[in-house]
Amino acid sequence: MSVHQPIPGARFVDPAVLARIGNLEMVAKTVVDGLINGTHRSPFFGASVDFAEHRGYVPGDDIRRMDWRVYARTDKYYIKEFEADSNSNFSVLLDVSKSMSFGEKIAKLDYAKTLAACLTYLANQQRDRVGLVTFDEGIVDHVPPSAKHMDVVLHTLDRAKAERPGHLVAPIKRLAEHFGRRGIIVVISDFYAEPSEVFDAVGLLRFRGNDVVLFHVLDPQEIDFSFVEPSSFEDLESGDQMPIVPAALADQYRSLVTAHIEALTARASQQQIDYMLLNTSQPLDYALFRFLSMRERMAHTR
Amino acid sequence: MSFLTPLFLLGLAALAIPVLVHLTQRERKSVIAFPSLMFLKKIPYESVQKRRIRDWLLLALRLAALALIVAAFARPFLRGSEIAAAAGGAREIVVLLDRSYSMGYGDTWSRAQRLAGEAIASATPADRVSLVLFADNAEVALRSTPERSRAVAEINAAAPGPGGTKYGPALKLAGSALAESLLPRKEVIVVSDFQRGGWQPDDTLRLPGGTVITPVLVEGASGPSLALTPATLLRTRDAGQPERVTVTAGVLNRTAAPATKVPVQLEMDGRIVQTLSLDVAGNGSASVTFAPVSIAATTTRATVRLGLETPKGVAVQTGIAPASSAVDALARDNVFNFVITPSAPVPVTVVTPGTRGDANLYLTRALAIGEAPRFETSLQSVEALAGDAANRARLLVLNDVAVPEATAVKLVTFVEGGGGLLMALGPRASWPQGREAWLPATMGAPVDRTRGAAAKLSGMDYGHAVFEPFRAPRSGDFSTARFYSYRGLKAAKDATVLARFDTGEPALVEKAIGLGRVVMFASTIDLSWNDLALKPVFLPFVHQLGRHLSGFREQPSYLTIGEVLDITAAEVAAGATSSASRSEGNRTVLAPSGQRRDLAMNSGSSASSVALELLEQGFYEIRVGGREAGPVIVAAANVNLAESNPERMDPKELVAGVTGGGAAGSTGGQDVLPDEAQELAQRVWWYLLFAGILLLIAETVLAQRLSRATR
Repeated sequence: MSVHQPIPGARFVDPAVLARIGNLEMVAKTVVDGLINGTHRSPFFGASVDFAEHRGYVPGDDIRRMDWRVYARTDKYYIKEFEADSNSNFSVLLDVSKSMSFGEKIAKLDYAKTLAACLTYLANQQRDRVGLVTFDEGIVDHVPPSAKHMDVVLHTLDRAKAERPGHLVAPIKRLAEHFGRRGIIVVISDFYAEPSEVFDAVGLLRFRGNDVVLFHVLDPQEIDFSFVEPSSFEDLESGDQMPIVPAALADQYRSLVTAHIEALTARASQQQIDYMLLNTSQPLDYALFRFLSMRERMAHTR
Repeated sequence: MSFLTPLFLLGLAALAIPVLVHLTQRERKSVIAFPSLMFLKKIPYESVQKRRIRDWLLLALRLAALALIVAAFARPFLRGSEIAAAAGGAREIVVLLDRSYSMGYGDTWSRAQRLAGEAIASATPADRVSLVLFADNAEVALRSTPERSRAVAEINAAAPGPGGTKYGPALKLAGSALAESLLPRKEVIVVSDFQRGGWQPDDTLRLPGGTVITPVLVEGASGPSLALTPATLLRTRDAGQPERVTVTAGVLNRTAAPATKVPVQLEMDGRIVQTLSLDVAGNGSASVTFAPVSIAATTTRATVRLGLETPKGVAVQTGIAPASSAVDALARDNVFNFVITPSAPVPVTVVTPGTRGDANLYLTRALAIGEAPRFETSLQSVEALAGDAANRARLLVLNDVAVPEATAVKLVTFVEGGGGLLMALGPRASWPQGREAWLPATMGAPVDRTRGAAAKLSGMDYGHAVFEPFRAPRSGDFSTARFYSYRGLKAAKDATVLARFDTGEPALVEKAIGLGRVVMFASTIDLSWNDLALKPVFLPFVHQLGRHLSGFREQPSYLTIGEVLDITAAEVAAGATSSASRSEGNRTVLAPSGQRRDLAMNSGSSASSVALELLEQGFYEIRVGGREAGPVIVAAANVNLAESNPERMDPKELVAGVTGGGAAGSTGGQDVLPDEAQELAQRVWWYLLFAGILLLIAETVLAQRLSRATR
């Protein structure tokens, strides 16, 4: 396994800057390589390989991989060959509903696309089969998991646009039937639905034995509600308008959003689903680092 | 403040526009796309709505500007009277003091005098005061004087009368007094107990513009309030017995407290005949019936009285009981006066040709039947008419009589003096040559209808008094009578054809001559030329003719104060002959108060009656001047029962009715300039428009500053 040199200063790059880089693969490599460079003890690194066979030592082999017990019995040098566990399916379910187009500095969808690319790249490095599903109120694009689909996934991600209103439950329920093989499913969405509806849908994925990871992508304005001027607020998906005086409503709004996040966190914990809130103002690799740390922590506890 | 084009005020509805703009437009001008309103929709809507209007000053400026511009388009102006009222100055005060008999209840009158005195005392030396006393009618007791002491003296001298309350005449009188005044401020002070019955809304009643009406309510005393309702008389006549009458009196209790053992006494000609007592429930009524009494030959003055015995003489003259003996504090409605008149017959003289004594059998028998009136028939020969016989009758019937010259002269005098003449024409009937113009129609030759179909009556004038009872369907069929012969008639120009034959020729023609009437019937009134006498309509027809020609009118046993007594009709009902009621002497009227006055009879007038307005409670007596032989007419006058009803109206109702709901009328003499001219002279609209534009400029400046501050 080759280790790329990280691009100096690429670590914790502002997502808005990353978004301006058109090549998703390069972005993913930039972020992931930089991340791995700093986290040698990542549980993904070599943890998922099993013993395959012994072969004779040839000069140049890493003596650390020599099987000393076989040498003790046979007095010959044998090298232990490990077979990487590349049978796992890694799929990203990306919400491309209209609400994902919102964002003050970076659109939530761009952030989510970068995140999806990074995760896919990461998984592909692990020899996982990678796939992608984009959905709004229905399924928009479907790339089945495959070890060769990295490019297709990135290309599909690149084409994804937020154009139609979304609905979380219906498409995920349909997808649950397609994920016959157990794998890792990452759902990236802004989760504008009641927590019960969200987990009714993703629960189906979890019940089929998949490892489900939820990335809740929100813009800072969605969290802080930092608007000042009284205005008409238009729902991006339904087109409904409401006259709003933000100063009068901000506190109540924030408490409702906090309650929503807490409810999602609580339900995720109950169903052994990884949940992570991502603020688009935060650097992407920081988010990935938090995610990998959480996965490691969860791996120990499970 | 008045408006020349008040419809423009509808533009004030445009005031809603700035409010709507402030409420809606502000939020709409910037639209923020937001991923989802999921959480915002959960927040109660009220908290979103409450703080919408932020720029109150801006909104107030816009509203004020708009209101001023709309008001300018409505062209406001002040009427002259309004300017005068606003400016102040001397007042023309008219005090209307109610002196209806209800004001005599307890100490109401003394309180009314005190309140009226206080109202006058409020006048300044520059003010002028008029005093109008009113009940049914209004009279000016004092006309526009600055001397307040005189007005107070007049008030102290006044006393409640027997009349009922009517505000209309008093307010009209006040209006005319104010219209003549040159003082800038006008005020009417109405001192009354404000009985509801006294006010009838009248659209034509308007006081001069700017007049202030001040109602002063005089609260009545509390206590029992009983009133007598009109007594009913039931006449009975047994054979060989004098006529008897049964009097039934009713008592109303106007208060909620029941009245027990209320004495009710019947007096006749000043003597107490019977005294009974009765109980009356609260807000209820009861009646009492006295034992029948015989009717005297002359008119009897009768009185039903609530309360104890009254000294003789007082009742006869005034009919009012002293307060000490009354059952309540209002004495006038405790007395009810009426007259019991023996039913006098109407004297009728039927003139026969002499040879046919039985010719008038049907007529005399028909006239002998009936009570109202009773006809007293006598038969005379035509020769006897030349003497004094005609003077003893009210009605002469000539049935197929040839009238000689001398008799004709007598008949003319008889009719012009008020008598009635019915001429039934047969083959012998004739009238002196040269006097035919006096008759309603000229007699022609007999028309023989014995061959072929007999003639029938048709074309009756059902609007006339003779045929009015037959107007309704199945109320008498004249067409069944067959006329075999009749005299052709040519009606005079001033005569009225009351009925015609089916050929169109006149059958019954009437003419009023002097005070009397003549009716010519083209056929006989017996069976010789027709069979009308055998038909059912004959009896009522003859009675109607007799009643009409004799001028008989049934006289009421009492009248209400304010009503008019028809003296002539009363004399006829009292049995006067035509000569007795002739206009040869004046009538002397003796009022209940003892006042005597003469009524001049206008002999040259064609009017057939003379009238007397009753103004006092009690009995009026009317005699023919200089002759005691004529019948004495006695008329009973009573107060209006409605006046004893204590129900009050809201004085504001009266004020609104006169001033048109606060907007003073413009019928006064002050508002002589038309509205357009007054508005043109004042040009208030110009100032309003200018102020509106200034406010709009200020609004623009303020709006720009606010806009900059927001950015």
